[in-house]
Amino acid sequence: MTNFWKLVQNENMKIYRRAATLIMLGFVVFIPILVTVGFVLLSDGADVNMWEMMQLQTMIVFILITIFTVVKSADSVAGEFSSGTIKLLLIRPWSRSTILLSKFLALLLFALLLSAICFVVSWGVNALLLGYEANPGGLIPPTSPMAGGSPWAYMLTYYLYEWIVLVVIVSFAFMLSAAFRSGGLAIGLSIFILLSGSLITGILGSMDKPWVKYVLFSNLDLTSYLSGGAPLPGRGMTLGFSLAVLAAYFIVFNLVSWTVFRKRDVAA
Amino acid sequence: MSQAPVARLQNVTKRIGGRTIIDRVSLDVYPGEVFGFLGPNGSGKTTTIRMMVGLMSLTSGDISIGGHSVRTEYPRAAEQVGAIVENPEMYKFLTGYQNLVHFARMNSSVTKERIDEVVKLVGLSGRIHDKVKKYSLGMRQRLGVAQAVMHRPKLLILDEPTNGLDPAGIRELRDYLRQLAREEGISVFVSSHLLSEMELMCDRVAILQKGQIIDIRSIRGQAGEAVQQTEEALFDVDRPEAALGALQGEWSGYVADGRLVLSADRNAIAEANRRLVEAGIRVYGIRAKTKSLEDQFLEVTGSETND
Repeated sequence: MTNFWKLVQNENMKIYRRAATLIMLGFVVFIPILVTVGFVLLSDGADVNMWEMMQLQTMIVFILITIFTVVKSADSVAGEFSSGTIKLLLIRPWSRSTILLSKFLALLLFALLLSAICFVVSWGVNALLLGYEANPGGLIPPTSPMAGGSPWAYMLTYYLYEWIVLVVIVSFAFMLSAAFRSGGLAIGLSIFILLSGSLITGILGSMDKPWVKYVLFSNLDLTSYLSGGAPLPGRGMTLGFSLAVLAAYFIVFNLVSWTVFRKRDVAA
Repeated sequence: MSQAPVARLQNVTKRIGGRTIIDRVSLDVYPGEVFGFLGPNGSGKTTTIRMMVGLMSLTSGDISIGGHSVRTEYPRAAEQVGAIVENPEMYKFLTGYQNLVHFARMNSSVTKERIDEVVKLVGLSGRIHDKVKKYSLGMRQRLGVAQAVMHRPKLLILDEPTNGLDPAGIRELRDYLRQLAREEGISVFVSSHLLSEMELMCDRVAILQKGQIIDIRSIRGQAGEAVQQTEEALFDVDRPEAALGALQGEWSGYVADGRLVLSADRNAIAEANRRLVEAGIRVYGIRAKTKSLEDQFLEVTGSETND
């Protein structure tokens, strides 16, 4: 197992020893700070507590975190093909599936790191500038299953749901990267899924078809369960249902990555 | 050679989309041997090498390295191989040293001391902490050699290693490969289309054409001397036709490019020279004509490849 960790270390080195990664980290650190500072300077004392601000910032920054991780996953496999380094990587005494697993794990760690930074920075700057509040009103809607609970638990659950969606989208990007070796395709399509999700969910919602709730797009807004709703209202969707659907997509995406990557010849 | 081969290719075949790229290639590479894999461009050298290092799958046949099949026990086989496939493409945004650390982590046997040792060996000590994007092609090639020999492989596979190197670099690489083979008992499997290069580097060569091995032969005899094929003498004379006539009956020869070519050994050459001078033919020069590997290669592959 220590040996396998060395593979992950390698992937980490290839992620963090790049200037672009530092810029990404910079965005995740400075966006919450800028938003809060700007709000304090411009709002004329509007009543927003730190938790609400934190949730708003998380919503914005998580889109970025997802995009950054998608960019990294496109680079992780397709990038090695286009630079030719894949040849030196795959002639080592490791099976291809192990190497692919190390790459996937390093990407999830990268997303986890960015999420943690986002949480810490945005909690810190908001507690500092807006004041700490133990029982904020307005953060947890009364319809929420977590109503009356602690803002910590609510916020961590919010992060968890966002993170699950991120993992599914990154798996999709990783599949395109590993199976089709096209970084551009991986980035483009994954960002399309990310950004057009709510739009397509709206269109699907207006259709009166039973299969609509099994579509990937209809299950990407997990946080709507947190406010007591559902991505597509009135269709009997539950959190468990959406998690099961996402799990199925997750398995399919990774199965495709793995099978294609293991089998395919590395030609010029 | 009675030792067990380091690498054994048995009826290796590769078909892509109905076309047979590699057709029943079989060969053995023995310990301490520099084995040349020679063929014109497009003959399938790189494909064969890609199959040996696990980058491509085999359609049929098998390849074993140190007794482990690349089909069924790939990690065990790969442990014993160091390779550069085509150009040594490294991570350009990392330093040379970080690149070596990267590949060292993938082989449990490589220590930090060993990394420093190979850096010194390939002469990159001064620049090893520079980013690879600042390296010249020759330096990248040397870094490529470093990552390939770092884990002390039993078999070193190099695909067109002299591509892009200047004459001094080629010579250095050649000496280094022979040294590795001699001193560390590493077998070297090297492909090239440069015949003269292979002649200087290899103990044996296999000639590949259109995916088939058409010949495997030794380049060096017991004493390490290049094996000379049937010797011919080239006479530079003023009237080659008349000269041929004067020697008729005793020597077999022909006229080529305005010169007289005779099959003859040392004494016969002196004798023939005397005869020519006596016949009033002016001899401007005599030299031995040995067949180079290139001639043999062109002979076997039929001068130009007719596709």
